Amino acid sequence: MISAKGVSLRYKDGTLALKDVTMEIKPGELVFLTGPSGSGKTSFLKLLMGMEYPTTGTLTVIGQLITKEEVKNIRKLRKSIGPIYQEFKLIDGRTSLDNVMMGMRFLDIPSKKIKKIAEEAIERVHLEQKKNTLVENLSWGQSQRVAIARAVARKPALILADEPTGNLDYENAINILQLLYSFVDSNTAVIITTHATHLIQNVPHATCIEVEEGKLRIIKGEARVDETRT
Amino acid sequence: MKLVHNIGYFLREVANIINMNLLSNLLSVLGTGLILFLLGLVITGWNISSKVVETLQKEAEISAYFNETVTYNKAEEMIEYINSIDGVENARLVSETEAFSRMQDILGEEAKILELFDENPFEAYTEVRINLEEMDFVLNQISIMEGISYVRDNKAVLEQVQRLTRGLNMISYLVMIAVGITTLVIISHLIRQSIYNNKDQINTLRLLGAPDSFIGFPFLLSGILLTLTGGILATIFIVFLINMGYNQLTGALPFIPLPNRGTLLLKLSVLLPAISIFLGVLGSIFGLYKER
Ligand SMILES: Nc1ncnc2c1ncn2[C@@H]1O[C@H](COP(=O)(O)OP(=O)(O)OP(=O)(O)O)[C@@H](O)[C@H]1O
Ligand SMILES: [Mg+2]
Repeated sequence: MISAKGVSLRYKDGTLALKDVTMEIKPGELVFLTGPSGSGKTSFLKLLMGMEYPTTGTLTVIGQLITKEEVKNIRKLRKSIGPIYQEFKLIDGRTSLDNVMMGMRFLDIPSKKIKKIAEEAIERVHLEQKKNTLVENLSWGQSQRVAIARAVARKPALILADEPTGNLDYENAINILQLLYSFVDSNTAVIITTHATHLIQNVPHATCIEVEEGKLRIIKGEARVDETRT
Repeated sequence: MKLVHNIGYFLREVANIINMNLLSNLLSVLGTGLILFLLGLVITGWNISSKVVETLQKEAEISAYFNETVTYNKAEEMIEYINSIDGVENARLVSETEAFSRMQDILGEEAKILELFDENPFEAYTEVRINLEEMDFVLNQISIMEGISYVRDNKAVLEQVQRLTRGLNMISYLVMIAVGITTLVIISHLIRQSIYNNKDQINTLRLLGAPDSFIGFPFLLSGILLTLTGGILATIFIVFLINMGYNQLTGALPFIPLPNRGTLLLKLSVLLPAISIFLGVLGSIFGLYKER
């Protein structure tokens, strides 16, 4: 599903955010990316969504090569990804429900079903009472749940969640994580970045990757991270 | 793309886009309305002037005057011959009395001046209606006829009118180009502004994989809606103005050959909205394209 070979990412200002990453993630995997702030977790997710391109190395996501030349196809690839951004990127001036539906309108989902699927997704994140509330009036945790609902309602093959538990109390954080795990199946991989290592220690079948200064190091699990190269 | 199924969504987006910048959108509607109104005026002027030319061209005529030697019977014969010349539509004799009463009609209240004459100062002549294109040939044919003292034509007047309409056509084309460019600039600028105002939303939609056609369609729609509103405003004003003008003109200046009112109104109320839609589409596409 994801294959990176010698991938590095250097931002325009010279920051080397990822260094020579070689790894593979298969469908059905649940992957945690942990590591200190500024270590490169978000940068890695950005590469997977084609928001940035590898400076060196080759990266393919669901069969799609991530390079500048592939912009058009990357746009199509994004339809198969359910992104949950660290800063949510909800669309102001719309209700929670509208935001969730907005993420589905251009997918191959019959338009009659869109509303029903969106409502179900809203229910799964327990926001029934807030579905007609404008998103700018939601609390931080509620906004986060709308972002999650928007991502999962799309029935993506790859869910990328950037800090979905940040700022949530223990109980809500666990709930959110369990919700995200529930989308892992034989076709769907879920990648979650988090600082909260204590929340994920006992998750079975999960792969934990620690990111440190742009390097990925596997802590536990199935994903293969090639550490021989530097 | 699922245009039809999402039409409700798109319309809400259009409302959003227009609302976000309501004042400048309203001003643009007024602006394009005004410009299209000018265009409507020019089209109207164009229609009227070509109607005038058309009418005048049908009036192409030659008056041929006889020698004193020509008797009435001889004149009849000559008219028969003139009628057989190619390019002559109709030739007929205008008698002294008819010539006199025509002048009376033309002079109207000033006709009293004719009473100063002891006897009718007019002479009989032949009035020849012809095709404008054949004017030179017919003129030549008649003037070489025996018994004709001289011929008079209204060619100079007709040519002047034609030159005038050619000038008017030039102006119309220029105004059309100016209107087109101005509307395009206004609308494309407006769309770019709207896109800028919505850039966060557009960016998010791109990240979610929405195709540009899906993202751009509401902007295209709002561009069309704005110019079309301008176009409809312009049409309402011009229809109002033409109705007023016709009511006044047909009373005061009955001899001006105006084009049929209904046809003119229909033409304008199809043409102006159609042009505005066309310009709206084009302007929005420019706006969208520049923003890529
Ligand atoms: N657009 C950018 N331009 C330049 N540098 C950037 C950019 N985005 C991120 N960086 C830098 O790249 C490094 C990795 O950032 P990244 O956002 O990936 O960290 P992170 O692991 O997600 O951190 P956090 O846990 O705080 O979200 C940081 O040093 C950051 O300052
Ligand atoms: Mg981050």
